[in-house]
Amino acid sequence: MKNIYFIIISVLFLIYVTIEIKKKKLSIKESFWWVIASLIMLILSIFPYSIDYVAKWLNISYPPSLLFVLCFVFTLFIVFRNNKKISEQQEKIIELEQHLAIIESNNHEKKKN
Amino acid sequence: MKYLIIIPVYNEEQNIIRLIKSLKNNKYDFLIINDSSTDSTEQILKQENVKYINNIFNINYSKTIQTGIIYAYMNNYDYVIQMDGDGQHPVSELIKIINAMKKNRTDIVIGSRYICKTSYNCPITRRIGTKIFEIIIKLFCHQTIKDPLSGFQMINRDVIKEYALMENYPEFPDANLLIEMIKKGYTISEVAVEMKSREAGESMHGGIIKPVKYMINMFYEIFFILITTLINKKKVTK
Repeated sequence: MKNIYFIIISVLFLIYVTIEIKKKKLSIKESFWWVIASLIMLILSIFPYSIDYVAKWLNISYPPSLLFVLCFVFTLFIVFRNNKKISEQQEKIIELEQHLAIIESNNHEKKKN
Repeated sequence: MKYLIIIPVYNEEQNIIRLIKSLKNNKYDFLIINDSSTDSTEQILKQENVKYINNIFNINYSKTIQTGIIYAYMNNYDYVIQMDGDGQHPVSELIKIINAMKKNRTDIVIGSRYICKTSYNCPITRRIGTKIFEIIIKLFCHQTIKDPLSGFQMINRDVIKEYALMENYPEFPDANLLIEMIKKGYTISEVAVEMKSREAGESMHGGIIKPVKYMINMFYEIFFILITTLINKKKVTK
């Protein structure tokens, strides 16, 4: 019965992600990993003992630690991916700025002549 | 042959008029790139009626230089001469760099403070930094560059294209960029020039934290350039 809270949280999170996609605040491509995360959360809430089986299969003696490792790896992955995207976008913004500044300068020169 | 002098400026209201006056007395095209200065630099550029590019927002020194190089590339200039806007690089020394480019026929010519004894009064910390990078270049590229931190440089059309299209143009385009260019097969030579100390205003390498950040950044970039070159070499040999 305790699991019902986790099931509700997982479903609510899944609904929230879907709404954000619908509002076009989150792209379908970007939402992929969050949908996967919420589905894993949902599966683990419905079948809490599944983590024990996976831990046993991976030879992990304390199953909850597997959960922490999974959360940590997922967060690290998302942070790194976002960092990469920010770097790419920064470069693109500066490139745009450079070209825009040159175009503006050329227009200014044309007006002067 | 089309020559373009590019001068990146940021808050140089105290130095820019003097520089513009001396630039107007020479026959080469010049372009001032204002990195969104917060003082009256832009107003001065307007009043002086010179060709300039005004960055919409501050994009830092190196990207401002790259903007000038992109402009030169788009407008088919054969050579670009890079000068600082703080009055350190006298316009009268331009001819030495241009003549060295004609004589040496290298891809890059650096105006050096340390080939001959000049009147330039270099701070000891800067001299040590320069020496460290000179040794690194000698060690990994087997070439002696006495002043790898000089911003007074001339580049030919091939380098203009390389820099203009470079996606990750470094934050500090000094020894790291020279190492990258040597590794890519470009040739570099030096010529002795006179330089002055900054006449007014604040240097971008002022204080204690900025030079430390600069050194860490440079070592990190050089390390990556060397690693990338090594990987590329292995790929080619395979």
